[in-house]
Amino acid sequence: MSWVWRWLFPRWLRSGRVMIGLALVLPVLVLAALAPLVAPHDPQAQDLMLTLQPVRLGSPFPLGTDVLGRCVLSRLLHGASLALWVAVMASLGAMLLGTALAYAAGYLGGWVDWVIGRAVDVWMSFPPVVLSLILMVGLGTGSTSVILAITLVDWTRFCRVMRAEVMLVARCEHVAAARLLGLSHWRTLLREVVPATIPLLVTLLALEMGIAVVVEAILSFVGMGVRPDQVAWGQMIADGRDALYQAPANLLAPVAAIIVTVAGFNLLGDGLRRTLDVRLVEGAR
Amino acid sequence: MNLVASFARRLLAAGLILLVASVLLFAALRVLPVDPAGMSIPPAATPAEIEEARRQMGFDRALPAQYAIWLGHMLSGDFGRSVHLGRPVASLLAEAVPATVELALLAMAIAGILGLSGGLLLFVLRAEGGRGEAGEAIAETGTVLLMSVPAFLWALLFILVFGVVLEALPFTGRLDADLARPVVTGFLLLDTLLVADTAAFLSAMRHMVLPAFALGIAVAPPVMRVLGASLIDVYHSDYIRQARLRGLSETRVLLGHALRNAALPTLSVLGRHFAFLLGGSLLVEVIFSYPGMGSLMLDAVRNADLPVIQAVGLTYCAVVLAVNTVVGGLYLGLSPRPMPG
Repeated sequence: MSWVWRWLFPRWLRSGRVMIGLALVLPVLVLAALAPLVAPHDPQAQDLMLTLQPVRLGSPFPLGTDVLGRCVLSRLLHGASLALWVAVMASLGAMLLGTALAYAAGYLGGWVDWVIGRAVDVWMSFPPVVLSLILMVGLGTGSTSVILAITLVDWTRFCRVMRAEVMLVARCEHVAAARLLGLSHWRTLLREVVPATIPLLVTLLALEMGIAVVVEAILSFVGMGVRPDQVAWGQMIADGRDALYQAPANLLAPVAAIIVTVAGFNLLGDGLRRTLDVRLVEGAR
Repeated sequence: MNLVASFARRLLAAGLILLVASVLLFAALRVLPVDPAGMSIPPAATPAEIEEARRQMGFDRALPAQYAIWLGHMLSGDFGRSVHLGRPVASLLAEAVPATVELALLAMAIAGILGLSGGLLLFVLRAEGGRGEAGEAIAETGTVLLMSVPAFLWALLFILVFGVVLEALPFTGRLDADLARPVVTGFLLLDTLLVADTAAFLSAMRHMVLPAFALGIAVAPPVMRVLGASLIDVYHSDYIRQARLRGLSETRVLLGHALRNAALPTLSVLGRHFAFLLGGSLLVEVIFSYPGMGSLMLDAVRNADLPVIQAVGLTYCAVVLAVNTVVGGLYLGLSPRPMPG
């Protein structure tokens, strides 16, 4: 029976933080994927006779309505789809760009490492929000632009940490052995270096998802994120702020959604860091 | 001597980074589908007049030449004129930068104090005499949860609780409407102190409580974690054992000996997170209608006001580099260990 147990609960899962993180993230992911099916109303449908309804569970509008009479719950669910779509795509994008450069810098060293290191320095000298806003000016609004902007800003998070890890792994004996056996650089990298860095990559990816959710919310909040016809949590916050006195739930619902989602990804990432035994020094170069 | 040389090298590196950043910023904003020349003249202008304006602004030349002209202007202090507001960018910046610097410094102080007390709490929870593993898990989960609330959400929650529900603190602008603003240096807190206007100083402080706490509390958790971790490291060293053997109380060992050495990594974390704090201040300023660089930047971004975007973006960059250089210098100066290279 013990193999069933081990199969159901592998080592990386045996941590309170990983479990709580998954317990927060998985429902959000499922609801986001099923938003069009489970949302009680069309998120854009206005009912100007029923504006700023209060929270009343069991009513047609469980979380009330906003200033245009739109269902807050439906908007929350559709906002989740957008937030997680952006988070997944942007995190993968940042991961691909950042780790590709990190493998190049850490494995090849020399001037390649120097150039990539200085590029990271330049990027890090901008506050991330400022850089993403500037990029959004150039890219124009829309979810694809948001994904691109987050990718182009946050690749440094992967690059900084992965470069150090790749350098450590590249000095290991099994890498030297692979080279001595006559494997090409490319095969050595793919077969000996990349697998050793996967745990760190998974951890960073989980943390980046949370960051991407926040950045998307920030950009949509200031009106520089998705297009006005898309439903986003940041936009709901901006609308809810104007109805702060009449219907605080309009503001609190998306704020709570962001905090729960981000906390889920952060707990997951932090727990994985422990169970996968990743040396992740906070903010280390 | 070594210290001075090392600091000078950091300063030079920061200058070079700023230069490269300016190239990137210039290039990124030149691919935009907007025409600053077309926007800066009346809509009734003829094509010939637009062409004339474009030539005057140098848009008919090659990009490197345009960059050289722009850089020359920037270096001579001419930051251009805001297309949207019709005012020189330099005077806009002169009003906005002191406001943001005051807010950021206050927030850093709050982050430092919260980080220090939180870090000590984490350490006590983790220490052998404490609750051991359970205490550690609670403490770590707590900081992760704190880290999950970004500054702009703190700002909104604070407005809801302290501004709207409790009506305890103001949450727009910098001063009560009936107070006159003294101008000496441009730094409001400093100016009100210089002219000894207590009422204005207190009003300005009350207006800064919520934004500064929203920013500080968002940056504090990483500081807590690093301080907690480095305290644990420090406790493994010989001099702590020595201090204990000399019969010092645990509190004195912690506060008098361990904290001083554990503070050094904490300082560098605080410095490294300054860029995030400054980025967070952009949103926090917008939310609290605080007239700083963030409000100026967002206004410019919404109106595609290129001269302002370029100048404010570069100023953000310069502030981050300046703070990083100073913190790096402090670190070198305070570090008891010989530095590499």
